[in-house]
Amino acid sequence: MQEFIKKALNKCDQAELYNIDSKEINVEFNDGKLHNIESSLQSGYTLRIIKDKLLGFAYTKNLLAPQELIDNAVKSLEGKVKADYSFPATEQLPDLKTYDPDITRVSTAQAVEECARISDLVKRQTKAEIELVSSINMDNINITNSSGTELAQKQSVFSIWMNLCYPGGAAGLSESNFDFNFQPLPDDKLNAIIELYNLSEKPVEPKGEKMQVLFMPRTMYALMWRLRSATNGQSIFKQTSPLLNRIGEQVFSQDLTIFDNPLDDSLPGARSFDDEGVKTAKLEIIKNGVLKNFYYDLEYAAKLKTRSTGHGYKSSMWGGDPSKIKPAPSLSHLTIAPGSTSLQEMIASMEKGIILKGAMGAHSGNIPNGDYSVGVSPGLYVEKGRIIGRVKDAMVAGNIYETLKHVTAIENKLHPSWGGEYPAILCDQVSVSTK
Amino acid sequence: MFEKLRKIISQAEADYVDIRYEVMTETFLNFMGQDLSRIGTNTTDGYVVRILKNGGFSSIAFTNPKDAQQAVKIALENAVLLARNLSKPIKLAEVPVVKESVILQQQEDPRQIPIEEKLALLDKYNQIPLSHEQIVMTNMGYSDTLRKKYFLNSEGSEIFEEVLTTRIGGLITSKAGNLTQNLRIAAGGSDGFYNVRGLEDMFETRSGIVIDLLQAEPVTGGVYNCILNQSLSGVFAHEAFGHFSEADIIETLPAMREKMQIGAPLGNEVLSITDNATLPHQLGYYKYDDEGVPVRKVELMKKGVLTGRLHSRRTAAEFGEPVSGHCVAEDYKYAPIIRMGTIFIEPGQNSLDDLLQQLGDGLLIIDAKGGQTSGENFTFGAQYGYKVKNGKKAGMIRDINISGNLYKTLKDITAVGNDLTLSKIGGCGKGQTNIRSCHGGPHTLVKNVVIGGV
Repeated sequence: MQEFIKKALNKCDQAELYNIDSKEINVEFNDGKLHNIESSLQSGYTLRIIKDKLLGFAYTKNLLAPQELIDNAVKSLEGKVKADYSFPATEQLPDLKTYDPDITRVSTAQAVEECARISDLVKRQTKAEIELVSSINMDNINITNSSGTELAQKQSVFSIWMNLCYPGGAAGLSESNFDFNFQPLPDDKLNAIIELYNLSEKPVEPKGEKMQVLFMPRTMYALMWRLRSATNGQSIFKQTSPLLNRIGEQVFSQDLTIFDNPLDDSLPGARSFDDEGVKTAKLEIIKNGVLKNFYYDLEYAAKLKTRSTGHGYKSSMWGGDPSKIKPAPSLSHLTIAPGSTSLQEMIASMEKGIILKGAMGAHSGNIPNGDYSVGVSPGLYVEKGRIIGRVKDAMVAGNIYETLKHVTAIENKLHPSWGGEYPAILCDQVSVSTK
Repeated sequence: MFEKLRKIISQAEADYVDIRYEVMTETFLNFMGQDLSRIGTNTTDGYVVRILKNGGFSSIAFTNPKDAQQAVKIALENAVLLARNLSKPIKLAEVPVVKESVILQQQEDPRQIPIEEKLALLDKYNQIPLSHEQIVMTNMGYSDTLRKKYFLNSEGSEIFEEVLTTRIGGLITSKAGNLTQNLRIAAGGSDGFYNVRGLEDMFETRSGIVIDLLQAEPVTGGVYNCILNQSLSGVFAHEAFGHFSEADIIETLPAMREKMQIGAPLGNEVLSITDNATLPHQLGYYKYDDEGVPVRKVELMKKGVLTGRLHSRRTAAEFGEPVSGHCVAEDYKYAPIIRMGTIFIEPGQNSLDDLLQQLGDGLLIIDAKGGQTSGENFTFGAQYGYKVKNGKKAGMIRDINISGNLYKTLKDITAVGNDLTLSKIGGCGKGQTNIRSCHGGPHTLVKNVVIGGV
């Protein structure tokens, strides 16, 4: 890697080579039967160079022709993309648990057996049509730059995702589990989803009005998407954030504390450096409802004359190949601090409302403004503290700066979900439309 | 190239093997407001091998040719593991052996246009919204993506096909006080750079709309009768109905499969839906899918009755229905899955005025802003719309998200227009992104639509 950087420096002032190698096996189990096994061995390299404060960017899959990669990056300098920053000199990083070497010993057959076990259990106790995907993932990220930084991180993840479909509709209740190595799906998770499925089998058609909505952890991303957008350095620079110039103001209920903690290695995916090699740290976003910080990568920190918070990641809204993506500000380890109420107590306290178990269409609507309008997929209707059935054809809508002012309870437990760890949150006066 | 590919798969002792090698060349340009944030052309490549052995069918994608031997071994082992655990062996429907090289037809080939010219064009368009004071930001991009695909299988097929997709567009954001509104702009196609020329008027019109949206009234949540414009009709055809025409979605959902039987009267008699990627000069065009099967026109619904389905070789054999050539991969990172090509609601006799008269009171909602399905339920956003009173367009509305149930909505489409339009860019994300996913329809009248409002 250093050899390559040296070679690149003949043509520029600074250089950075990012490399990711990944191995993945997916086992798909549908309707109680093994359906598919797919594997993937992928690699990718991205070169960023800076010359006279201009950025060059190029990528390839294999470093079979290194000079071609350098030439491509040099050619892209002609576009005159500004880069008024330096690649960081990063060292002395904390030692995080991100990889379990035993992952290499997990066999595809083991994943198949675990899916079969779950599938049989669910089939015996429900009428659901079950979909299951079990994945074995190994990643290796390397970042080398001309400031002397040489970083490497191995990651391993064993995951299980399941969806219990209501027959005839294909919509269902989903659940997932992540670990560093093979781990059977915990019984409590499995029993909870089976119980919820059986309670929610009957379709009900309540009248639409403002009511209580219990946002389950799996749907929290829909609300957090809006907060991510509003606190992103890019939105601050573009001046499109409704939170612009509002640091220190109360924006949510004082019961809400939200932070990003890439150093939490209790679950897979912890990072001591971001995809630009910047050291990461815990960052408070909201404390007791008060807006504390925005987050930046190198580019937007430079544009706004501040420092990167270590949030430059090569991720995009729709996934994609990291080696082709330019780093951008991203909050990928978000945590909402737990409250003091159990999920059972929260449901029991609901006079009339909906448990939003899945949110559909979270990506549409006016995200920068904080508006959301999601289809329930599904929603469980509650009256006098009891689940009556499931609601179809309904939408839950609002603006996060209103909804999250009306928080009435926060669950005392966190659940890993898309892009973070969240508790369930109960809000009142949320608009629900039904047919 | 075919010799090299033949050598890789010759190591596999199997009942069937195929390999696809792709070289992908992409040019990306992007502006964030006045700042160019990205420019460059890069080439990447990779391989996908699929193996059928003893009734087990497994795939592997890999990028480094040095991994070829190991990759073939993994796919073979997984096929054998599958075979041991399957209740019923997987079969592939029989298809003719094809040897063909499909040469790309372009009207003004983007590869011949210097990147400087592409940059100048994008810059010119980007300046149109930015010249308005109330437009505070743009995120505007250009891309052309060339896939050169070499497909070879153990039955003797050898196919080379190139597909090139050109697109331009992005998001423009207006702001007044604390309120921001945004609107998408999109143009492009599969048959040349001419698709992205001459768009000045479109950029000017869209700039006007995003400014008007600042004054528009947020829609009130409730149930409305609506006219969907062509873009939204297309999203309905694709999201709500189309995905359940993909045989791999319903293959393992017994109750859904029962409901979606050919001959089932699922829709209103005014409704006919077709997938036809063979239509020339439209975004979704291709000749062979990524299993080497020629794509054909499929009538999915005719006068409300289910008449066809989209298949891979695997699902065609499973369902006992004819292959359709719809097994397509995003690129070399993936094994192919069943994808719609060009799906649309067939046009009827009504003009937009006729539909407005039939609607009386309700909403006219315009242009898709993302859609998602979860089983029979779907949700999608509209970029803007108008209230309709006594058949006449009234005030502008915003923040429109609609939700519905597939089966109910198929019955609730009560009239279709005569003005079919197909989409210019695509981005279906069924696990993989298909940038050539094309959909469309005429204006359609739908009863009882749930609108979320804010």
